[in-house]
Amino acid sequence: MAIKIPALPEQLPTAQPRFVGREVQRVEDPGLVSGTAEFIDNLALPGMLHCAILRSPHPHARVVGVDTRAAEALPGVLAVLTGEDVRRWSNPAYTAPEGWGAYCIAVDKVRFVGEPVAAVAAVNRYVAEDALELIRVDYDVLKPVPTPAVAMAPDAPVLFEERGSNVIQSRVYNWGDVDRVFAEADHVVQNTFRWNRVGANPTETFGCICQWDISDDSLTCHGAYQTPRFWAMARALALNLPTNKVRVIPHPMGGGFGGKGGPRGTDIAALLSRKSGGRPVKYIEDRMEYLLAGFGQSWDRYYDAALAVKADGTVTGLKVKLIDDQGAGTEGWGTISVAKPLAAFTGAYRIEAAQYDTVLVATNRAPTGPYRGYGPPPHFLVLESLMDMAARRLGMDPAELRRRNYIRPDQFPYTIPSGNEYDSGNYEAVLDKVLAMSDYRGLRESQARWRADGRLIGIGVVSTVEPGVFDWNAYATVGVQGIGVPEGAKVAFDMLGNLTVVVGFNLQGQGQFTVAAQVAADYWGLDLGAVKVASAPTDIGPPSFGQGGSRLGVAITGAVLGASEKLKAIFCQVVAHLMQTTPDQVELMDGRLRLKANPQVGMSLAEVAGTMLGRSDLLPPGMEPCPEATFVWTAEGRTMPDDQGRCRSYLTAANATHVVMVEVDRDTGRTDILKYFIVDDCGTRLNLANVEGQLQGALAQGVGAALYEEYVYNDEAQPLVTTFVDYLMPTIHEVPMATKDFVVTPSPVAPLGAKGCGEGAIHTTPAAVLCAINDALAPLGVEITETPASPHRVWKTLRRARAG
Amino acid sequence: MAMSTKQGICITVNGVRHEREVEPRLTLADFLRHELALGGTHVGCEHGICGVCTVLIDGRSARSCLALAVQADGCQVTTVEGLRDRTTGHLHPIQQAFVEAHGLQCGFCTPGFMMTTLELLAENAEPSDEAIKEALGGNLCRCTGYESIIASVRLAAQRLREQKRT
Repeated sequence: MAIKIPALPEQLPTAQPRFVGREVQRVEDPGLVSGTAEFIDNLALPGMLHCAILRSPHPHARVVGVDTRAAEALPGVLAVLTGEDVRRWSNPAYTAPEGWGAYCIAVDKVRFVGEPVAAVAAVNRYVAEDALELIRVDYDVLKPVPTPAVAMAPDAPVLFEERGSNVIQSRVYNWGDVDRVFAEADHVVQNTFRWNRVGANPTETFGCICQWDISDDSLTCHGAYQTPRFWAMARALALNLPTNKVRVIPHPMGGGFGGKGGPRGTDIAALLSRKSGGRPVKYIEDRMEYLLAGFGQSWDRYYDAALAVKADGTVTGLKVKLIDDQGAGTEGWGTISVAKPLAAFTGAYRIEAAQYDTVLVATNRAPTGPYRGYGPPPHFLVLESLMDMAARRLGMDPAELRRRNYIRPDQFPYTIPSGNEYDSGNYEAVLDKVLAMSDYRGLRESQARWRADGRLIGIGVVSTVEPGVFDWNAYATVGVQGIGVPEGAKVAFDMLGNLTVVVGFNLQGQGQFTVAAQVAADYWGLDLGAVKVASAPTDIGPPSFGQGGSRLGVAITGAVLGASEKLKAIFCQVVAHLMQTTPDQVELMDGRLRLKANPQVGMSLAEVAGTMLGRSDLLPPGMEPCPEATFVWTAEGRTMPDDQGRCRSYLTAANATHVVMVEVDRDTGRTDILKYFIVDDCGTRLNLANVEGQLQGALAQGVGAALYEEYVYNDEAQPLVTTFVDYLMPTIHEVPMATKDFVVTPSPVAPLGAKGCGEGAIHTTPAAVLCAINDALAPLGVEITETPASPHRVWKTLRRARAG
Repeated sequence: MAMSTKQGICITVNGVRHEREVEPRLTLADFLRHELALGGTHVGCEHGICGVCTVLIDGRSARSCLALAVQADGCQVTTVEGLRDRTTGHLHPIQQAFVEAHGLQCGFCTPGFMMTTLELLAENAEPSDEAIKEALGGNLCRCTGYESIIASVRLAAQRLREQKRT
């Protein structure tokens, strides 16, 4: 039977939703403010050991010998793990494309600073770290490969010798008649861009406790796992275990943003547990380890890109050439960040043809991984910067150039040249609202006045699309397989009518337990606090992916609603039998199963569930006494990619326009954000506070990427960023408090009309800030096309202006 | 590097006296978390930048990752576990304000922010936004973008002022 999921909040079985679409207090917060939430380092198991990892100081070297005898002799040390052990017991990380992964501890050679070379399990972390100092490693240092340019040189040392080259993938996509639109263009606006490495840096690093059951060779991993089932499967592959012998128990996480890492740490703790006879082993990554090697680094890119523009401002073509420094292999799934821009390649615009020329290169920097947005934020920085450069060339207002090129409301669903289909939107309404809210004309007048006083004032107006609710097919071009991302939920009433919603993930900060509770509470007519949301381990929970790809709010809504619809149908059968009518004469409304013809007559949820569990004599013959249902949701209509990667991938397309005003200091190159305005449209807002929090938080990360954050490596591939003194996370002083408003264009294809919005402003903010800086610099005839636009870089640009 | 001799300390945490023998190198954060099982004080960077591990030592905010347990010998330490009213079980007005004004997402940095807020509001019952920013400038949050944290502190200040009046 096909399950029909309510398409809008109005279709929920309640006279008036009390929780969906409102600002509600989150169900997870009391535990979090009390300090009682069980973050992984708060858990201790009997007999638990503590792991510390010895890491390579060299970016590229052969490991000639590892002498662990002194460490093993230290009192309190139970096991020491080396490359020899992992070669015997495990496999290199599975990657896409295949063959670019390493073992969890270096076997034969190290490829980046921070790569594990040995690990210790001891009675406490202090002793474990003492033992690391007793391990002797002999290295034969190799020539480092610090950049893609060096990596692609003919005589370059090769990182993965069996691959024969440092080029992971080289691929050109052509969508539409690119040559023609560029030949017919009145203007071609071209530029190069450098996006330096940034990364996730959740305040909690990765941590886990792994226990190897030596009786049946099974593994249990408690930890900060963003996508528990995915990691469970990957651990089974890495550790030569059947997939049903790895159990992952996800704990609440102190943030993630994609960059939580964990595979190597998990495998090392697991094998230390195996080697120490099955003792539980805890590994808590420290911040220096995270910054060196924690899969928190993303987007290390060199762009050369061009727009084809007609004299009237119509943009007809986009060419993007990208050289992407993936770092030392693809174990962190950084390749996906090159594929994902296909889901929104041409942004908010009707650009008829596009080309994407990609080269993914391995270097001796740390492997890159996912970070909020997973690829499009740098892509939009390039596209939106070119839009501004085109506007300057044409003498047009940048807001008006965008307006002229927007996909129009009557064109949805709209298929972009790179193949994805945008579900809905009204970009001009968003633009009009933000221009009015910011008094855009007034801002431009102020700018003109202040410029006349000699100040460097700039305004950015940037529009982007946020692909929401990811599907694996979006990443097919880099070797990821599959279509569909199942997310399940179980709704279960007990004998007294209390409801538990079981999900397969744990808390990470976005408030998804609250979303699940809101949806369930409104569906079943319960108070929010009456719904218990429980996280199940991977071996007993429903199929689940968890957080990622701006999807979980939508996906868990679909799962809870689907399960509720299934259970309602069962409840209707019970009530119909008791009332001697047919199920189609019974309906659910505000928490009661009642007769449609006589709404006064009905049963409470407790009566129905209690009857099912406690009075089998009253049930319809043959009915299973189970007031529970599970539903696994995935987006429908996703398609197999064609030879140019085109497919319907991400389900929803949220959009936003930001207006930002900055001032650049002539003497220091420092940028101050004076004003910030955001209007966005992510369809139905399931929880107003959640959405606003995601927006403001992603804005902060966008500001960091635009102005402050950078993983710096020297020309020997040595990382120069190992602490928060070097990696500049925005503090309360740097983040603008944005004025926000929104437009609601419900998604016609997603449950309750909600669009993915978790990545949000990081798609837009880096571009908006850089465009504003370049608007400020425009009168000087210089521009900056490298991020972060740090004071030093801007100062150098200003010097160029003076020299020129 | 040899195993160090232990040292006797007496630290009062949230009003409860604890006497222990500890290694001199044991950080206050590890002492609180692993010796006393007060897990609400989280650890974010262990080098004194992020402020996640902030506690009050004799009423002054301090990084418990940079302090050694032996340095807090004889001191009064307040942690997030000390905020909730022990008899009624009610959340402290600061905790309640963070819930109501959505001053947290993942909640990992939140105990540090609340302890810094406790210190601020003890000194300044009606802080301006600038004073709030000045006080919280040493605490990193990666989730919220800080706006809701400022709102939470404002709300907490108001609640505490109201509480004082009644």
